[in-house]
Amino acid sequence: MTTAIQPASGGGGGLDRPSPTGLADVIDTILDKGLVIDAYVRVSLVGIEVLTIDARVVVASVDTYLRFAEAVNRLDLTETETGGVPELIDDMREGGSKSKTKGAAQGVLEAAGEKMRDFTGDRDESKKSAARRKRRDEEE
Amino acid sequence: MSTAGTAQQTTQEQHVGYYVYGIVPSDVELTEDARGIEDRDIQLIRHGDIAAMVSEISIRAAIGRPEDLAAHERLLDATAPEAPVLPFRFGSVMADADAVTEHLLEPNHDTFTAALKELEGRTEYIVKGRYDEKAILEEVLAENEEAAGLRSQIRGKDEITTRDLRMELGEIIHEALDAKRTSDTNELAEAISDHAVAHSVLAPTHEYDATHLAFLVETARRESFEKCVDDVARERQGRINFRLLGPLAPYDFVVTQR
Repeated sequence: MTTAIQPASGGGGGLDRPSPTGLADVIDTILDKGLVIDAYVRVSLVGIEVLTIDARVVVASVDTYLRFAEAVNRLDLTETETGGVPELIDDMREGGSKSKTKGAAQGVLEAAGEKMRDFTGDRDESKKSAARRKRRDEEE
Repeated sequence: MSTAGTAQQTTQEQHVGYYVYGIVPSDVELTEDARGIEDRDIQLIRHGDIAAMVSEISIRAAIGRPEDLAAHERLLDATAPEAPVLPFRFGSVMADADAVTEHLLEPNHDTFTAALKELEGRTEYIVKGRYDEKAILEEVLAENEEAAGLRSQIRGKDEITTRDLRMELGEIIHEALDAKRTSDTNELAEAISDHAVAHSVLAPTHEYDATHLAFLVETARRESFEKCVDDVARERQGRINFRLLGPLAPYDFVVTQR
């Protein structure tokens, strides 16, 4: 089924502190960021540059709209458990191929995320210290 | 024969490049377990007050696998709490050590030094918030009569005849979420920014994103910052699920100016 909308982890507390970061986080965090080597002429801190949220990622599309409507429909189903079954079957018939593709794509993404987590399992150890300041050591 | 040695060296030179992770102050010392892409040793190429963190890389290597991205970030994030670091974009490679000095460190010595000084004792955190689907949809439906009306019109009907109505409902929800995202982002930025030096609004990465914010935080104030985010998250529990990434290298506060 299309459960495309799930927080990465629905922990009990208000705040989730993922120590081994998943692939999606790594990509979000570092891709297209940092200094560019062939244009390193000048460097400066962005400072407080508040960018307006553009629709770069959250693109409005027919698919998005229908997905929202589908989610609302799911609310109905959970609220009125009885009588929901025929709709469910309809859903599966109508959107069968579509949701299958989506499900598969998502499966891959999640699998990659899992792998990443395995891979970065030892991340914290190496994370503790990659560098040290000479100056600071001397001061202390 | 001496020519054979030279030839071999030349071949080697052609195949090995220097992958640049970032710039740090020259008084930084690496710990022995510092590793980079392909599990290579990290080297520092020093020049004046600054140094480039590099590792050898095979020119023919096809990098870009998840572990390569993770190695890049891991080294920079492990460095950030210890020393200021100017992160380079993933995949920055220079021909050899001389090129790093001559074309990167020398011409940019003063600007890099100044930028590192600004970053001294500061690291980045990313706060990601995502709406709870059920909670936020119910909120939108409760606030928007038109959406609620469409919902009851659609209820129990088949997909084909209600396509236009569902499109309409979806568009209303999309717009409502957009507005909520903007106001929640502003509200959260304001609530947290007292504990940070600077913040930057990042593009949402998911249609249910409530907020995606980067903060530059004084190392000395990390605890109060984390506590503040924790409080903010607790207050919104059930409506927004929060995740806090960091401390990280200042990816969102360093830019190249052309």
